[in-house]
Amino acid sequence: MKGLLIVIAALLLAGCATDTSAPTRVAEDFYRALSEGRPDAACLLLAPRTAAKLPDDGQSCGQALGELALSGGSLQEAVAWGEEAQVRLSEDTLFLHRYAEGWKVKAAGCEQRPELPYDCEVED
Amino acid sequence: MKIRQNALSLAFLGLFAAALVGQAIAGTADYNDRQLVDGGSTVSVVQYVATSEFAVDVAENWQSEYLQFFLFVLVTVWLIQRGSTESKPPGEEGAGSDEEQKVGRHAKADSPAWAAETGFRHWLFSNSLGLTMGFVFVASWLAQSVAGMAAHNGERLSELRDPISWGQYVLSPDFWSRTLQNWQSEFLAVASMVVLSIYLRQRGSPESKPVGEPHSSTGVSG
Repeated sequence: MKGLLIVIAALLLAGCATDTSAPTRVAEDFYRALSEGRPDAACLLLAPRTAAKLPDDGQSCGQALGELALSGGSLQEAVAWGEEAQVRLSEDTLFLHRYAEGWKVKAAGCEQRPELPYDCEVED
Repeated sequence: MKIRQNALSLAFLGLFAAALVGQAIAGTADYNDRQLVDGGSTVSVVQYVATSEFAVDVAENWQSEYLQFFLFVLVTVWLIQRGSTESKPPGEEGAGSDEEQKVGRHAKADSPAWAAETGFRHWLFSNSLGLTMGFVFVASWLAQSVAGMAAHNGERLSELRDPISWGQYVLSPDFWSRTLQNWQSEFLAVASMVVLSIYLRQRGSPESKPVGEPHSSTGVSG
């Protein structure tokens, strides 16, 4: 019975939210790079598929990101569940995914739509 | 000798452990397959068993199994099925007299200590099987709701949607779909066992009547 309770407690713990400090740091680094005019550095923080999909033909990821003129603002809230995270800034909402090498931005420049997924300027 | 005397429990505990390991290995392969499609990174079996996906899959099955036994233990006190091995004979519905139940002053020298007690201990021990099944059911269902919310929120975030609270999750289609798909199979299995044991036999099993026992005999096993 004691063993059973320990297992149930472990199942409950598996439902705990993930630490949000790492994805928050990546989101802030992403916007710091953009605000300092280093879009190529911001591109390095994008998820591979997002970075690959962003530029048009003949464009680099940094050029495409620079043209979007995204703005972040101050941190409002961050949540993370499993391998996924959402970081809300005062002027944007970002979605991140945790890869073996760390958290990467999967979508940015996102606008909320009632009952529907966010509409994002940068997404995979 | 001790192993032989406990062979039934040991066999099922062994099957449980083997099935759980199998679920972890198959679940890891399935999880990694989906991760590759979504552009994510793969995980080891050890990492997978710590995920909410594994936890909710385990808990949703546990809660339904313990609900099944909780209801079966309680409902068979009051409801009978003529001819079934899973039922008491007609006319014996109810909790039984103290003499039949060997409790209080009717407790025997070898009865469990709390059978001779009165008051709360008497009530607790008299209902300990149902209470334990009920407690594990509630705890597992709670674990399913928490782990399910975590897994569902991970999925929502990956689809670029806002996560939801626990209160919203326990009213969500995902929670009730997971819950009811398990409940319906448990209720069907119990109903099948109750009815099929009237007409069918398994020679030598205590879950069956003796092969030559009439269909109308109730509560007979062997």
